[in-house]
Amino acid sequence: MKSIGELTDFYYNALYPSLKALEEQRKALAVKAYKIFALIALLALSGIAVRWYYFHALDLLSLMFVIAGAIGAAWSYRHIIQDYRTEFKMRIMKPLIEAIDDSLRYAPVATVSQSLFERSGLFQGRIDRFTGNDLVQGSIASVDLQFSDLHVESVTRDAKGNSHRSTIFQGLYIVAEFNKHFKSQTIILPDSAEKIFGNVLGSWLQSKSFGRDRLITLDNAAFEKAFVVYGNDPIESRYILTHTLMERLLNLKQSVGHNIYVSFVDANIHIAIAYNKDLFEPTVFQSLLNYDNAMSYIHALNLAVGIVEELKLNERLWSKE
Amino acid sequence: MPFLIAVGVIALILILMYNALIARKNQVDNIFAGVDAALKKRFDLIPNLIASVQEYMTHEKELLSNITKLRTEGLKPNLSDTEKMALDQQVTSALGTLMISVENYPDLKANENIINLQRTLNETESQIAAARRAYNQAVTDYNNIIEMFPTNYMASWMNLTRKEVFVIDEHERENINVKELFNAS
Repeated sequence: MKSIGELTDFYYNALYPSLKALEEQRKALAVKAYKIFALIALLALSGIAVRWYYFHALDLLSLMFVIAGAIGAAWSYRHIIQDYRTEFKMRIMKPLIEAIDDSLRYAPVATVSQSLFERSGLFQGRIDRFTGNDLVQGSIASVDLQFSDLHVESVTRDAKGNSHRSTIFQGLYIVAEFNKHFKSQTIILPDSAEKIFGNVLGSWLQSKSFGRDRLITLDNAAFEKAFVVYGNDPIESRYILTHTLMERLLNLKQSVGHNIYVSFVDANIHIAIAYNKDLFEPTVFQSLLNYDNAMSYIHALNLAVGIVEELKLNERLWSKE
Repeated sequence: MPFLIAVGVIALILILMYNALIARKNQVDNIFAGVDAALKKRFDLIPNLIASVQEYMTHEKELLSNITKLRTEGLKPNLSDTEKMALDQQVTSALGTLMISVENYPDLKANENIINLQRTLNETESQIAAARRAYNQAVTDYNNIIEMFPTNYMASWMNLTRKEVFVIDEHERENINVKELFNAS
């Protein structure tokens, strides 16, 4: 697997011709988008002005002009960047992913399957909308791995019958083969109860968590502070969560800087990183050659593929081949 | 009426305290059964391990016979939990020494059967370590409840006494890289 430095070199050297061509396309698109936004804003403002001129009213209808304008702008933006987005994924993301390890395969419009998401047991509640993109599959140091961007939502209806979408999870979802045999289920969630209610009340609330297995208290204070663990076999949960793995998960949480959810189910480790945004998307109003943008793609990819190395999933010290 | 309510509330509190104490006590027993199962698994590995190494390891006869002796003792019926815990420490230490001695025999170190046995032993040791940690947590919860007010009164009435935890070695806490130790790739 290539290092971040090597990938950065690859991005700016090997991909430079593609980046340069796409950068021209991006500049033209940005101008086009600004023009469309200006036109839509003008139309919305004219609507509001006409309403004011003839009816002396700034009311719900005026607000509707703004909302219609925003929806129109979002739709047009999505429509005009479609080709550029596809080209970015095929000419930049695909070679970049293949450069990390040639066993990796990239499918820009596919996702990790919903059954793999549900199997993890990390998120409860009914799923009404399951979307995502940028599926990467492969084998790193003989460990099968796949990850993709996911946006999982539920839909609720209020008393008036209006439906509202709420996000269950949005971010990077990684599934990898785990290197120890186990039969039980262990689920690790961010510890929000202890953070809000303190140690005593927080742990009492955690132990009463409905729909979850038994609360497992672990012998690592820092880990206990950061996470809450549920499992149906306290011995096997500790067999999986050795002191070393707990430290590695803490390091991972620190390096990611977002909430992480981890579960061990069906011989696999499932990791959900709540970035709360769609990763691996091209920028339109900033240069593709911008260092920060380049690093955001490289860091996210390196983190997902690097899970194998970071958590030492390739160590075969146990009887599992 | 208020008297009856007060009696009812006190009875409910007593029942909840009693049940909480019994739940903690049973939790310790259940997890010790898990520890016991993991220890038995390791005892089952020993004959195969000794048979595989003894023809090579001419200088460690005493160590090998000590391990066999510890196994025989460990399989005796009616051992108390404390005795089992003491034996566990001795077996862990003796097997650790044996595995390090394997390093002195290149033929043995490269033997496929030994490599497989090492991996299985490593797995069993990890399971025992996990079982010990689970047991220690269950015992800590149990010791806490029998010493805390007001459950301590009921615990002493029920003759519940403190239980001992496993001593976890520092090296185990640090979870040393066994691959490096055995140099087995």
